[in-house]
Amino acid sequence: MASGFRDKVAIVGMGCSRFGERWDLGADGLMVEAFGEALADAGIAREQIEAAWVGNALDDINVGNSALPAAHALRLQRVPVTRVENMCATGTEALRGAAYAVASGAVDIALAIGVEKLKDTGYGGLPLKTKGVQNDLWMPYGSAPGTFAQLAGAYAARHGIDAGDLKRAMAHVSWKSHQNGVHSPKAHMRKAVEMDKILNAPMIADPLGLFDCCGVSDGAACAIVTTPDIARGLGKANPVTIKAIQLSASNGWEMQYGEWDGAHVPNTRVAAGKAYAEAGIHDPKQSIDMTEVHDCFSITELVIMEDLGLSDEGRAPADILDGRYDRDGAIPCQLDGGLKCFGHPVGASGLRMAYEVYNQLQGRAGERQRGKVDFGLTHNLGGAPFNSVAAVAILGRLN
Amino acid sequence: MQIGITAMGAYLPALRVDRKAIAREYSWSGLGMPRGGFRALAGWDEDSLTMAVEAARGLVQTAPESLRIASTSAYYTERSQSAIALDALALPRTVRTVDFGNSRRAATTAMLDALLGTGDQIVVASEKRLTQAGSAAQLAYGDGAAAVRIGEGGGARLAGFASVTHDLVDRYASQDHPTPYAYEERFVRDVAVAELIVPAIRDACEEAGIEPGHLTHVAVAEPVGGTWAAAARQLKVAAPNHCQSVSDGAGDLGTAMPLYGLGLALAAAAVGDYVLVVGFGSGVDALVFEVTGEVEGVAGFAEVLAQGFRLTSPTRFLNLSGALSLDWGMRAEFQQKSQATVLERVGRDTIGFIGGRDSGGNVQFPKSAYPVNPALSAPEVLEDVRLADLEAKIVSITADRLNFTPDPPFDFGLVQFDNGARVLMEMVDRPEQGFAVGDRVRMRLRIKSQNRELGTRTYFWKAAPLARPTLGDA
Repeated sequence: MASGFRDKVAIVGMGCSRFGERWDLGADGLMVEAFGEALADAGIAREQIEAAWVGNALDDINVGNSALPAAHALRLQRVPVTRVENMCATGTEALRGAAYAVASGAVDIALAIGVEKLKDTGYGGLPLKTKGVQNDLWMPYGSAPGTFAQLAGAYAARHGIDAGDLKRAMAHVSWKSHQNGVHSPKAHMRKAVEMDKILNAPMIADPLGLFDCCGVSDGAACAIVTTPDIARGLGKANPVTIKAIQLSASNGWEMQYGEWDGAHVPNTRVAAGKAYAEAGIHDPKQSIDMTEVHDCFSITELVIMEDLGLSDEGRAPADILDGRYDRDGAIPCQLDGGLKCFGHPVGASGLRMAYEVYNQLQGRAGERQRGKVDFGLTHNLGGAPFNSVAAVAILGRLN
Repeated sequence: MQIGITAMGAYLPALRVDRKAIAREYSWSGLGMPRGGFRALAGWDEDSLTMAVEAARGLVQTAPESLRIASTSAYYTERSQSAIALDALALPRTVRTVDFGNSRRAATTAMLDALLGTGDQIVVASEKRLTQAGSAAQLAYGDGAAAVRIGEGGGARLAGFASVTHDLVDRYASQDHPTPYAYEERFVRDVAVAELIVPAIRDACEEAGIEPGHLTHVAVAEPVGGTWAAAARQLKVAAPNHCQSVSDGAGDLGTAMPLYGLGLALAAAAVGDYVLVVGFGSGVDALVFEVTGEVEGVAGFAEVLAQGFRLTSPTRFLNLSGALSLDWGMRAEFQQKSQATVLERVGRDTIGFIGGRDSGGNVQFPKSAYPVNPALSAPEVLEDVRLADLEAKIVSITADRLNFTPDPPFDFGLVQFDNGARVLMEMVDRPEQGFAVGDRVRMRLRIKSQNRELGTRTYFWKAAPLARPTLGDA
């Protein structure tokens, strides 16, 4: 039985660019912005980085494939650089690669950086592409909201919930995140939005209205990881450590086999279960202080609350409406505003979530600070509910 | 044994343009166009191939010796429509295929050839013709298909026939002028009646050993309105022309017109009746059938004609008929490719909607070496199972308004077949209230993707409601 890598890897520096419609910067500039902050935070020189993992999901949107865009942008000094891609879980995947390198003893200091430059596509939403592969011949290519909207009808059917009640709970998810995003200087959208406006917004994919959907942004975020001993040597007396990182990927069961109810995401449940075990957490409802989850759409966050075990099955709408995940609730979710306010530069989002937890753990979150935070959880969901990659990471402090 | 018609099949697209509503929009122009009844309008993802398959799919419980498709509007000029249809119908590759075209008469010619042969053959006619906005043809034409199976026995015996080849240019379409260019109607009617139609019908009846007045039902595809009335007066025939019902309810179906009318005529005829079908275009084919028994499938022709969704939006009509190019924004620039190597590997299973049954009995689509069934852990060869003819149930659904489609919204979701197969599918023939979880659906062949720049299409199946609403009067 593997022992996992709880507390074997410390995060000594993180950086995050301002997210948004960054007409002023390309992918290289976004990476530089995040990287500079992380270096200063860690108190190290660029030359101390021994290996890097760069996460970038859509290689044809101004970033380019391979290690080279990151190596060039940051002028990394002929160290091994690896590009990783795992859809919306890409940022966490980059962190996992860097953390594995440190935990294995292969390197002392590694960099994980995620970036996406989406606003050069010329239109809203994520870009589409096709290469003439087998799936192109039969699989419908709905939009991202179209794929996640499928959760809503199935959830309502599974739990016998009135569509109007579900819509109100979904609206609360977005309302809460916009309330929080006001206090995030790096967020793309920083305005509170009234509930009526959310409920009456134009329909994007039934039943998801405009405010049920996160935006699409440009952005980059990064983490510098090392061993706890080296972290202490860098002056981090009680460094932030990685308690767990787990992934789970669909094998086709959800979309090809006739058992899945369409109302939950099995990969989130599997990844969360393994992450709790790796982190030594037995009761997440009691132990997890805050979450940054993949709220690409309001219904996604609602379902995630159950898949993470923070709400009982069928109870998420009521918990949400009761304020359980609000800023002052029992387990606040998206204290920084989430994807809802930052938008979703795909390769960067996982690391942007870790950035918020990292700051909360150190009491550095300013107006957003949620008192004392001991365990924070990040969650990414790539693909679609019926064909996904889920990543769950848990961060804490060494002692 | 005598060769005759054993079965027939019909298909019309669900949308029916209310001619009155559209003509009203043009009233300022003074342009002449039909103002009564409906025009059957293909969806953006329907073409002559998909409709041909829909019309023929009920006739292929056993494989015929040959499959013939007649159309003047085949999408590909260098790629056989009947060969693609063969795979969509999951017929063996040993079935011979032939494409007929270039004349509205192509279907009756193909049918006559089949009747004069000895084998078991399927003839399909299908049409989705491009027309120009404001032309009479745009509202007079309709999109649709009809199919006939020829073989030993059957309820309709060919009693007599006559063909006249005559390059009477009543109208034409060409590579340089893809929409119809029509000549003066009175000229066409006078010459067609005198030189082609009346002589051919007299000859066919003579061969059948009957007087024209003995015809009880006819299906005459007219080049222009009033042709049959003029011919019938000369021939002293009182029988109703069932093609008129097709014109009124769906429009002029081109090559499919005489076959569709024939289906209606045979449904109305009794044993012992003589039924005439006439195909017109670059000449004329006149075929006289003696009804000797039941022809499977003909009862469905009137039903298909009577069901659909009324469409009154002029811009939606022009958009779907290809007469209006809307600016759909950058998302519409997305073009799907298809690779010949991929088509060769999996194309037949895809367009045939062939899934696979594993050793545990579960069916999946597409097939894979490792079955999706979690109870199985080793690679195996799956047994072919065609899903195209099965019903399924919607598991999840949305009406996607962000994704580009030429006819929003883009309905899609997971559908569950009773045999275990679960497939993410597009939905078509959207009911007024939309789709819902739990709805039962049936499969329809449609265009999956089209790449206008490269001039290619791919085809796959989409889920549609089991039934269509009754249209009512226009």
